[in-house]
Amino acid sequence: MSDQPEPSGGKPTPPESLEPSEQVRGRLLLDQRTDREIDEAVLRPMFETGPRFWILVGILGAIVAWGIYAWIYQIYWGMGVAGINRPVYWGLYIATFVFWVGISHAGTMISAVLRLLKADWRRPITRGAEAMTSFALMMAGLYPLIHLGRVWKFYWMIPYPNNRFMWPNFQSPLMWDMVAIFTYLIGSTLYLYLALIPDMAMARDHTDGWRYKLYRGMALGWRGTQGEWHKLHRALSIFSVVIIPVFLSVHSIVSWDFAVTIQPRWHSTIFAPYFVIGAVYSGLAALAAILVIVRRTMRLQEFLRSEHFDALGKLVMVAGMGWIYFWFSGFIVEWYGNDPVIRELIHEEISGGLAPFFWLQMTANVLPVLFLAFRRIRTNPAFLLALALLINVGMYTERALIVFGNLERNYLPFNWGTYRPTWVEVSVIAMTFAGFILLYTLFSRIVPYVPVWEIKEGRLRYSLRRIGRLLVPTAAEIE
Amino acid sequence: MSEAGRLLAVFRESTATADAIDALHETGVQDDQIVVMTGVPYPERAFGRHVEWLRLPHIVLAGAAGGLIFGLFLAVITPHLYRLDIGGHPTVSFAPAAIITFVFTMMATIISTFLGVLWEMNFPEFGTKFYHRLVTDGYLAVLVEFEAPLENRVRLILETHGGEHIERPERQTL
Repeated sequence: MSDQPEPSGGKPTPPESLEPSEQVRGRLLLDQRTDREIDEAVLRPMFETGPRFWILVGILGAIVAWGIYAWIYQIYWGMGVAGINRPVYWGLYIATFVFWVGISHAGTMISAVLRLLKADWRRPITRGAEAMTSFALMMAGLYPLIHLGRVWKFYWMIPYPNNRFMWPNFQSPLMWDMVAIFTYLIGSTLYLYLALIPDMAMARDHTDGWRYKLYRGMALGWRGTQGEWHKLHRALSIFSVVIIPVFLSVHSIVSWDFAVTIQPRWHSTIFAPYFVIGAVYSGLAALAAILVIVRRTMRLQEFLRSEHFDALGKLVMVAGMGWIYFWFSGFIVEWYGNDPVIRELIHEEISGGLAPFFWLQMTANVLPVLFLAFRRIRTNPAFLLALALLINVGMYTERALIVFGNLERNYLPFNWGTYRPTWVEVSVIAMTFAGFILLYTLFSRIVPYVPVWEIKEGRLRYSLRRIGRLLVPTAAEIE
Repeated sequence: MSEAGRLLAVFRESTATADAIDALHETGVQDDQIVVMTGVPYPERAFGRHVEWLRLPHIVLAGAAGGLIFGLFLAVITPHLYRLDIGGHPTVSFAPAAIITFVFTMMATIISTFLGVLWEMNFPEFGTKFYHRLVTDGYLAVLVEFEAPLENRVRLILETHGGEHIERPERQTL
């Protein structure tokens, strides 16, 4: 801490003004917390699993079991039990697939982009964001299998010499999709695990029994030597750079599933950036919602503080503005073109049968941007949770409108139709939502939710410096 | 050559640790005979030691090149081996080939980064190693290897610079 007084123009500085505010102290975790206390503060909530936790796990497990039953039912009876039919061949399954891929985008945004930008507020939330990415991609990855119907034929998409003389058609966007999502899942999971190794060693040193065995296995023999830290840092930096183009490409490729067709309202050059910004918007909002819930249930108020929600809220707001801009850019060109089928689709959305969904989408995506302009709302966990959930309702509705809303009309008027999801589709979709929450809940009790070594590194970076009558935090360039 | 000895000490503070390491260097202890273990990543030169040269960037580049070649093979070569002629379509076209090649290049880059860093760190290594659990609690551990006659001088250096729990280290199962 620098205590060199600055010239004060002859006017003495009141000594009490040199005391850093509670907010500053809290932000820097400077308030006399030892490393051991930080370790314990992160580990303790992992070990406390009361009856409410197990009730939640039981309910989620039951929903997952019901969804698996529905999926088996669909496999047995065929895709006819789903609501998809001519001309709506892609229904809620594909809409939910797009939604989950979108949710996965927050992890990389928070972890890789903010790591490269050296934004320190990322530190306590990176692991939660990375885990969200991996679990959301696992859920997304189920949908191509579910939608395939004959799931046992999946291996036909794997390129290997075989006696059928069949080879995957790499000109098909569905093949691009599969390899892109698989790449992103591998990348985000390895990225999550790599940053986890030092904290696994920390947990190993503080536990016994089955947890010790698990953490020991996952720590791989980590000791924290300078060489290990140096190599880990270098690897994380490379990962941060490499994962960003992957993250951009994944949702672009998902959007090209739609845009390369000549289906009205899909055949658009703006679809890729529109999908990416929508993904970032919904992903960041989902992360904000999860952080609010985890903060309360795991009592991590000391680590997940108002300035984190403030910064995250600002990011959500900017992404929301981007979404509005891209939505309007796509809409105005289609509306001005006045193509008869597109005009019919726009009328159907704005004042026809799809109007409730359209107005829900607009309200749920636009209103939060206005509210998030206010710091008081951004830093209020309850408000932020409500807005984040609203945004995700809006984004899910948007995905649904894009997928089956636009398929109901096409260039062949005799081939127009409507879509109603069945109990099977609803059950399978509920399975993935419950599965995501279940995986995340279990993860938060097995793995240190807050990246302890990153917190400690952040603490090392900061000191207080006197400027005028203020003590302000200053960051050292140590990364 | 005389028998080698080892001492492990833990420090509370990084400057004292760096001073102790400087003094050890002056005594004749080589840099590769000193291991510093911390629970926090300190800057590379914080303890006045040589920064290790890493092969990781080369491993990553090699992986990326391998991914590029594999992607090109899948996107450009295999469509000729397993022809699927569709009226008006070329057997291989630029845009899909670019996408497939890009994705496989990135996949190989990611996997080679992960495997490369594990290989560089010699992980996984579950055997017994010299370690002190106080490292997790914020202490800095210094493990020194030296020729037996230097033991008293090394111990004195560690003590005078604030080293605690100075002892002959025991291998621990990690």
